[in-house]
Amino acid sequence: MPIHDAHYQHWEGVYCGIWTRRWVIARTGLTFALRNKTMRNLVALSWMLGLVMAGVLFLLGQLLVTDSIVIKWVATLNPGLQAFAKLLTAWLAQHPEISVRTTQNLLFYLFCVYSTPVSIFALGIAMPFLITQDLVSNAIIIYSSKALTRGDYLLGKFSLAFGILVMTWLVPVCWAWVIGNLLAPDWSFFWHSRAALGHALFFGLTTMIILSGLALGVSALSRREKSTPAVWFMWWVLGIVLQPIAQNTEPWLRYLSFSYNLKQIGLAIFRLGDDLKVAQDNIPILGEMLRSIRPVTREALNNPMLNGALLGLGLMLIAAGLIISKRVTPE
Amino acid sequence: MSPAPVIATVGLSKSFGRHRALDNVTLQVSPGAIGLLGPNGAGKSTFMKCLLQLQPITSGSARLLGREVGREGREIRKRVGYAPEQDCHIPGMAGCEYVAYCAQLSGLPFQAARQRAHEMLDFVGMGQERYRKIDTYSTGIKQRLKLAQAIVHDPEVVFLDEPTNGLDPKGQGQILQLIRDLWRIYGMTVVLSSHLLNDVERVCEQIIIIARGRVLVHDTLVNLKARKRGAAEVVLAYGQPVLQAACARRQWPCQLLPNGHLRIEHHEDSLNALLNVLHNLKLPPLEIIPSPNALEETFVQALEISHADT
Repeated sequence: MPIHDAHYQHWEGVYCGIWTRRWVIARTGLTFALRNKTMRNLVALSWMLGLVMAGVLFLLGQLLVTDSIVIKWVATLNPGLQAFAKLLTAWLAQHPEISVRTTQNLLFYLFCVYSTPVSIFALGIAMPFLITQDLVSNAIIIYSSKALTRGDYLLGKFSLAFGILVMTWLVPVCWAWVIGNLLAPDWSFFWHSRAALGHALFFGLTTMIILSGLALGVSALSRREKSTPAVWFMWWVLGIVLQPIAQNTEPWLRYLSFSYNLKQIGLAIFRLGDDLKVAQDNIPILGEMLRSIRPVTREALNNPMLNGALLGLGLMLIAAGLIISKRVTPE
Repeated sequence: MSPAPVIATVGLSKSFGRHRALDNVTLQVSPGAIGLLGPNGAGKSTFMKCLLQLQPITSGSARLLGREVGREGREIRKRVGYAPEQDCHIPGMAGCEYVAYCAQLSGLPFQAARQRAHEMLDFVGMGQERYRKIDTYSTGIKQRLKLAQAIVHDPEVVFLDEPTNGLDPKGQGQILQLIRDLWRIYGMTVVLSSHLLNDVERVCEQIIIIARGRVLVHDTLVNLKARKRGAAEVVLAYGQPVLQAACARRQWPCQLLPNGHLRIEHHEDSLNALLNVLHNLKLPPLEIIPSPNALEETFVQALEISHADT
């Protein structure tokens, strides 16, 4: 039984522009990716991490208020921690701009780098929805026969990968910054933490662009829906495994890991070495603690392997581009 | 004044390595229901794909709806629909979701795309199965779905590649009727590619027969059917040599076929002259088989070329 008039009717409306059509590809892909329960759980986990980060920022802000619950609670833990908290409070009160910027910069770095695996995992789950499924089902022909170019299709799919990273990464970062600073004792926290947020956004956007490009390349690698997520996860794990091996054998091997390379970019952007020095100069007790950091770690914080990391990622992106240009064709 | 051609090609060629899939195709095709007829591997699908820019052209040029193929691909495809031969759905989508998605890819706004998807699914005769996942569809329903996605954005020209493949006779009839209506009632130019003469004859007004990448004939169905070579096969119980001698006197080429029939080229529009000869010779024919029309003859020729190639 037809729902509408079963005769053909010409359409008289106005067609949407090319950006809308590209967005349709991304939006539909996101909708399908979010039908996956694991993906929804990963997004929820990222947002929870954002909430935890907001909580940490709240606690940090409470250190400024001398009679706050946090100070009283820290006092009950142990005398050393109480002394540290007092120094931190004094520093926060004396140099709010430097202290807020430094501490939030460190916290955002930790959050950004250590929440990256969630995003990598989410991309792995979404891998079939990027290009693989279209290769499996020949849907690539349908895209090519519509008012889209290959570039439009790839931009739509890139936006899909980017959209997943926005949900698992950008939203929690912004959420943490807004809530954490809203709960701070002073509105000036928003202003003082602008550099930390800027670093986080710059690192985040760079990471999102690179990861989206790499994910597209891997998703175009095979016509099997299970192969591409497997390749993605194996590459990630292999990179982690290679890092200690590379330290003792060939140092260049570490650049085969995209997560290592991204970490180096993170270190270069957040410039943690400078922050630690500032903290060390202002809080003597912290200086004592920081002096115990291993020289290798200190060197890594001060001089990240930026050139090697950029070269490694650049080569990976070129390889991804070659795979896409070879595989993503109508026939 | 004749209407502007929807398809115009000049020396269009397409090669895959050494294999020449399209060989110097020059055509001017006016709007209508156009049948692209030829055996499998003749180059029909390649011709369509070159026009839609799914395959790059090796040499020559082509214009579709007055725009140059290769330069204005996106603009051309906005006004064109395509139903490929193979399955090309997106796994996990329901039929109505898929058609609505295709409509949005063609530029229809979300609400309009959804409404129009249902209208087109009604038009192609799909019922409640539209809410099921495409992966569960039979071949017949998939063919209807392909047609729906090809016309959902109201194109001016729709290319249908073997749309009746895998359908039972009833389904074939329904699909062909829909395709026929697209041009005759709704004015949408249809380019139907098929290796089945019967399908093309039922739907199309213009016929292009292709074999080994070359166009053998391009004419209207009416003209092709009217064009006869003035030949017939005569089946006699006896007296074949007598008839052969009579034909020789009239300078009618006559050939004894392996099945015992005589093939006579009498060069006349009707069989009257041949019947007179038989009457005069007092030879009662068991059967007279008139020559096939040019459409059938050229199609058979295309098949022979194709078989010779393989």
